[in-house]
Amino acid sequence: MGTYIQNVVVFTFVMGSIYLLLALGFSLICGVLRIFHLGYAYIFPLTVYGTWMFMSALGWPLIPSILGMIAVQFIVSIIIYKGMIKKYMATEDVLLTALLLVALIIEQAANYFYPIQAGVYLETTLAEGTYQFGDAIVPKQLIIGSLIALAMTGAFVFFFVKTKTGMAIRALSQDIYSSKIVGINVETLYMFTMMIVLLPVIIGTLITAPVWSVEPGMGWMYMVTAILVAVLGGLGNIKGTIIASFLIGFAHAIVCFVFGEPRFMNLSALILVMIILVIRPQGLARSESLW
Amino acid sequence: MVEMELKRDRIVIRLGTKKWEWILEPRYWRNTLLWAAFLMIAPAVAYFYSPGLINTMISANIYAAIAMPLALMTIGTGRMNFGPQFYIGVGGYTAALLSIAYGWGPLTTLPFAILMSMVAALIFSPLVIMARGLYYVLLTLLLPLVFLEVTFIYTDIFKGDTGLFGIVPLLDTGNAKNNFLLIGYFSTAIMFAYLWFINKILKSRYGLLMASINDDEDVAHSIGININKIKIIAFVAASTLIGIIGWFYAHYFSSFAGITYLPLTFMLKVLLVLMIGGRAQVFGCVVGGYFVAFLEMLMIRFMGPIQPLLFPIILLILLFILPEGLFGLYRKRRYREYLPTIHVRR
Repeated sequence: MGTYIQNVVVFTFVMGSIYLLLALGFSLICGVLRIFHLGYAYIFPLTVYGTWMFMSALGWPLIPSILGMIAVQFIVSIIIYKGMIKKYMATEDVLLTALLLVALIIEQAANYFYPIQAGVYLETTLAEGTYQFGDAIVPKQLIIGSLIALAMTGAFVFFFVKTKTGMAIRALSQDIYSSKIVGINVETLYMFTMMIVLLPVIIGTLITAPVWSVEPGMGWMYMVTAILVAVLGGLGNIKGTIIASFLIGFAHAIVCFVFGEPRFMNLSALILVMIILVIRPQGLARSESLW
Repeated sequence: MVEMELKRDRIVIRLGTKKWEWILEPRYWRNTLLWAAFLMIAPAVAYFYSPGLINTMISANIYAAIAMPLALMTIGTGRMNFGPQFYIGVGGYTAALLSIAYGWGPLTTLPFAILMSMVAALIFSPLVIMARGLYYVLLTLLLPLVFLEVTFIYTDIFKGDTGLFGIVPLLDTGNAKNNFLLIGYFSTAIMFAYLWFINKILKSRYGLLMASINDDEDVAHSIGININKIKIIAFVAASTLIGIIGWFYAHYFSSFAGITYLPLTFMLKVLLVLMIGGRAQVFGCVVGGYFVAFLEMLMIRFMGPIQPLLFPIILLILLFILPEGLFGLYRKRRYREYLPTIHVRR
């Protein structure tokens, strides 16, 4: 019994934190721009394969490659905002289809230039080996990743609650017209949001890349997790996203360690979300505000 | 007592309070008839010159036959379903499992595939009333993914990783080329049957009610339309029609794998047929089905390994430059009264 509890507690913390990192960006886009970013899946392969491209094609070391990839991500997000989101905000059917196509294009580009046999591997391991907490054994990489996730979320919360820009973004998420009236530069803040939400996703992907599988189609699986967390938490609410991440982490840990059926991990989260949506269609927290 | 009345452009048949109209005026059916004749002759021509094209035509017909019920559902429920492939999975797995377990042929499995699709649609039909806003999109998006997970978990039943094999084929004349030709005609017949049926519904009184729901649900409700009834009928009917395509796939390929039809990538293809064809216009779905299937085939043939990358880029460009889809180019010349609107955020 003690072993079960230890494993469930440790893995709820670890998985929940990583899911939080992967889903925070999606939730914030939903909250601020009030769109359903179905192209979110492109960020994951672009992080891994973008970094790899700088390393293999230009021979850059890891850190400059990561910085180069972040610059590419920023440029792509601006193009997506200016070319798609801004133009087709009113016709969401076109927008969602276009965003899905963007994710597919990036996946296919990664697959064309670096197919699975190219052996893409990023040396982003921060710590080798494992930690043991009682009977629970966890890779050090994931523990460090969890701590980074919490720190990052804390920084985002601080930014949105305490800084002037953060408050302006919150105002924007509540009412665009009122925000314009009080002099908030909507366009700039939208673009700024599109760029800052990339950071947790990029960091999360780089941390999990040495531990979890890397392949061109990886984004879809991560996007589904991000959707589940964001929906469960109430689209765009950071508090809800934090609770939902740990709830899904808890569901996964229970299924793995109590029922001993890791096969049911994804299904358990999907069913949990569907049940909660039927009972409480707005999600766990109010989606009208970011915090 | 049946009464017949000849008018300038139509024959009106009355039986009690019921009324049917048969359009005589050539300008109303000439183009449709010409295109129908072309699509009926094309497989026969391909049979002699390039039999491989029949396969592309079958794909085109089936894409269109999935997109048309989706268009009906979009209009009738007033919102966009992002997981129509769930019903392909239901119909396909029902047919496949029954065929493998009992050795049943397509005619025997068809009623069960229809029944199971209908039951599944009825179970999930309250979603069109309960789920609002982006949550409907999310729930419909998640449904096929849940089913896909189930196929991997219960792999001893669904064979989620490899797919089910050994399903009784749709037709077997002993000659593969002849089989292709007959299945080609059968797929065309399915496509035309769907086109006729859905077009009839949309032009009927129910179609008008659906259009009013599509335009404004609250207004439709306020003028006394039972919107819940119409939405559920549209949802269940369209889902069942999509389920039949699952049955077709299972018997056509003699195998069925959820991983082919249930992921987001297959849904994206259906969505593109719907959008590039003509933004939920029924005739546009046929145009979209043929365009997407033939473009894909041509690119595979001439572009080589870069095709998977160029194909979505071309479709993305078309999505932006054709505001009413390919059918909109025709519609501009021949104005139609009703243009459906696709609503995502309801």
